[in-house]
Amino acid sequence: MRSHPVDYELVAHGTLPAVLSLLAREPGAWLPIAGGTDVMVQFAAGKLPARKLVSIWNLPELRRFDVTPDEIQIGAGCTYTDLRQNECVFREFPLLSRAARWTGGIANQNRGTIGGNIVNASPAADSLPALLVYEADLLLISSHGERRLPYANFHLDYRRTQLAPDELIRAVCLKRHFSTYLPYARKVGARNAQAIAKVCLAALGRFSAGRVEDVRLALGSVAPVPLRLLETERFLKGKQIDPHCIHAAKLIVAAEIRPISDIRSTAQYRTAVAANLVAEFLGQLRALSAPGEKKNIRLEKWNAERAEDAAQSILPCCGSKAWARGMTARRPILDEASLLAASDDVWNALSESDWLEAFRSHPRIGESHPPAHASTQSAAWSGEEQGKAALAEEAVRLALAEANRAYERRFHRTFIVCASGISASEILAILLRRLQNEDSTELREAAGQQRKIAQIRLKKWLSS
Amino acid sequence: MTQSSLPRPKSEISLTVNGKPETVHAYPMERLLDVLRNELGLTGTKEGCGEGECGSCSVLIDDTLVNSCLVPVLQASGTCIVTIEGLASDGNLQSLQQAFLDCGGAQCGICTPGMILAAHHLLIKSPQPSLEEIREGLSGNLCRCTGYAQIIEAVAEAARRGAAA
Repeated sequence: MRSHPVDYELVAHGTLPAVLSLLAREPGAWLPIAGGTDVMVQFAAGKLPARKLVSIWNLPELRRFDVTPDEIQIGAGCTYTDLRQNECVFREFPLLSRAARWTGGIANQNRGTIGGNIVNASPAADSLPALLVYEADLLLISSHGERRLPYANFHLDYRRTQLAPDELIRAVCLKRHFSTYLPYARKVGARNAQAIAKVCLAALGRFSAGRVEDVRLALGSVAPVPLRLLETERFLKGKQIDPHCIHAAKLIVAAEIRPISDIRSTAQYRTAVAANLVAEFLGQLRALSAPGEKKNIRLEKWNAERAEDAAQSILPCCGSKAWARGMTARRPILDEASLLAASDDVWNALSESDWLEAFRSHPRIGESHPPAHASTQSAAWSGEEQGKAALAEEAVRLALAEANRAYERRFHRTFIVCASGISASEILAILLRRLQNEDSTELREAAGQQRKIAQIRLKKWLSS
Repeated sequence: MTQSSLPRPKSEISLTVNGKPETVHAYPMERLLDVLRNELGLTGTKEGCGEGECGSCSVLIDDTLVNSCLVPVLQASGTCIVTIEGLASDGNLQSLQQAFLDCGGAQCGICTPGMILAAHHLLIKSPQPSLEEIREGLSGNLCRCTGYAQIIEAVAEAARRGAAA
């Protein structure tokens, strides 16, 4: 049964003190509403028990970030979009940044707030496991003053919290000391966008001398509240991670959670997936830690670099800045197979203008001088790739130069072909065939060749 | 179930819609969606699910994409709203709308206004989006006809034509 707005009161007071004094005058009578992404859903369904609402949307005191050397305080009124755009959150709290990205679509991220998500207290909320593993504190404010509470103590039971009727969450505080941890976040739902999780895991881990020094695991959708896996963590601390250890950890996870069967999934499925997610995380942690075991020094160093430096370092493998940024955002990347797969993913999702930028970083085939803007590394690699073509006879070289010019007149860009190991006459045949392509076919074919070039260069880059 | 015997008064709420200043009389908890459709006659904005899942009711508030079914109109007081009716000018389709037509990005039409507003918002923020960005930008908008391929192609085409400019 739909609600009728005539039955509801909604006021907007514009400042935090005014809202707090209203809450103090009639504790429990007023329901705060921020972006409405939960409250308005209940309202539409005729299931909103409160009849008096006070707007806290866009209160300046709640919609701000305060960053000090030790801590970031995220105002409870910050939206998921605000979280995604904040540089400190993006760099230092990737689990929260990713969860913000998973929450709803863009429109809901523009309205949903971190404070609202905490108070709504859904055990399936995407961002709450991240707050547990970062050991967030909450600042709760009322007209009497402010108190600081570990977030881990905030949820009492299913949708029951420590928040007093006259209180609001003012901010979420995160300590800035997680840069040395391996982050892991994965959500399993019916589809990628706009889905509520069947299970989600946020995890952090750190190694010292081959053993787990610290590990934090928190799951959503497996208990009445977002759940920190303290038993599993205790078991893992100080251990070397091997298949036996991972197997034992999975059993402890299964014993520690209390999932239910509901509209989205079954308890059995949730238990299996929760254990598998923890195992996947431990496998990644192991790959990072195991001494001498397929550890790639180049990747390890690159994973730890500042984002701009990492993008700059990998750029010559492709030539597109958007690709370099996309690859950097996928760190940590642990091995060659993951690196090559990530490259294909990022490359295929780029826009045409990004593809064209990569094409422009190559010299014309059969010519030795690279474009002025190509990096030294890129130019050296181009020389190697085109090595066989460079040995061509004069007649083939002339024909190739002529065909190149025809191609550039036809498509307004340099001809791109993965030249490694093929001769000039073979290239000439390919070029002449591709001159007959439609524009869109040729763009895709060139992009496919560039994808291959990037794969070859990434392998060289790994051993550089 | 009405709580008090006296009917609650409506409030006077001023906002700018598609560049035009408007004053409406509405209950503060009325959904922006209903005020746009019923008070202002802007029926281009559609109601799909009514709970923020489908994106049919997407509009811009101060250049920010929102689901208008989840916004109590009081919270839109003093803001600038853009609806699908605000995109075409002087009887000419905006180039994004034209791209939807050219690429077959609309079939039954229910999702189309919201889809175009979401795409418009994306192109304001990112004039040359990657395919991944287009998919993400439209991920809150459901379409049950097209299978999305033509919609994504329409947005890519609009970007090529410089729709954001």
